[in-house]
Amino acid sequence: MSALGWLILVLAVLAIVAVTFVVVRRRRRGGGVIATEGKP
Amino acid sequence: MKLLVTASQIRGLPVVTIRGGEDVAEVRDVIYSPEAGRLVGMTLNKRGFFSGRRREVLPADAVHAIGRHAVMIVDDSSLTARDDAPDDVGRPATGRNVIGNDVLTEGGRSLGVVRDLALLVGSTGEVVGYQIEKPTGGQGYIPLPAQVAVSGAALVVPDVTEEFVRDDLVGLGAAVDDFRARLGLA
Amino acid sequence: MSDSFRRAAGRKVISRASARVLGAVHDLLVDAEQERIAAVIIGRGRKAQLVDWAQLSGFGPDAVMVSDEGALRPPSDDRERAAADGKLGLVGKRTLTERGNEVGTLEDITFDPETGVVEMLRIGDREIPAGSLLGSGPYAVVIDAGQEPPP
Repeated sequence: MSALGWLILVLAVLAIVAVTFVVVRRRRRGGGVIATEGKP
Repeated sequence: MKLLVTASQIRGLPVVTIRGGEDVAEVRDVIYSPEAGRLVGMTLNKRGFFSGRRREVLPADAVHAIGRHAVMIVDDSSLTARDDAPDDVGRPATGRNVIGNDVLTEGGRSLGVVRDLALLVGSTGEVVGYQIEKPTGGQGYIPLPAQVAVSGAALVVPDVTEEFVRDDLVGLGAAVDDFRARLGLA
Repeated sequence: MSDSFRRAAGRKVISRASARVLGAVHDLLVDAEQERIAAVIIGRGRKAQLVDWAQLSGFGPDAVMVSDEGALRPPSDDRERAAADGKLGLVGKRTLTERGNEVGTLEDITFDPETGVVEMLRIGDREIPAGSLLGSGPYAVVIDAGQEPPP
């Protein structure tokens, strides 16, 4: 493969790793704003 | 004049012990009672970039103060085992996220969609208003007590609320007392 | 004359009995309740040793004098071990009020070298009395709410 080909491959892998980090972190950290069940 | 912060700004804040100066957890879910107009508690994450949930939860009555940079507790005995905490906090209802609820006046007008809560800084979780996304697409804030009724899909508010839509947290802070006076509350 | 934590850091620790250099001041352990220095931490990490304030014959501007080498002891509990590892250092820590708002970084702490009593905390460019200190630890220094500048 040409040098350019390798470069693209490395960047693609880094991008996948970065996205995985973000997705995994967001799923583990989670969280939201939750309203309780209404009680009179 | 009230200093306000939104519930999403509270999520992720460290929970810090006063005597120990230690960040023992951070805020995961913010759980609030529309009826009571205040937070009932928070679920927690461990500190650390990839860490997940902490077992313990923090009921609102164990909070010393919620500030702009941290939630303060006296010591880590304020953290409560899930089973010992009130059900609303230990097992928060899923599918009851007010974020995304439509805000309808009693007269049937939509003021927008709920995006966040506005909390009083320095309190233990008093909710003074909501951040909404207006039908036109801009951001606004409306004061509590706002709703007459709340479900998984919508909030119903008094008609007069429409006069008290503000553009930012500062405006909301200034409007809360006037709004309450209009509704005949303290 | 007051001394300060920043000035005292790195100061030589010397045995009065033998005139030997025992090490250098790494940190000062504070008793927040009594608002005084409880012990001097000499060196850091696994080789760190502590000397209780009462065992000092003098805390001078050029050297800290320990009555004799026998007064040095290893850390005795988790808090002292954390301090020896440098985790509890007060200077440079973010400072929060008990209401959860940050007021700045703790730049320095002044104390009376005769008694070890802590006098003032310098946060940013303000000085506040040591009585405002409610607690401190690995994450932050916590002071009472009276010290918040108005919004």
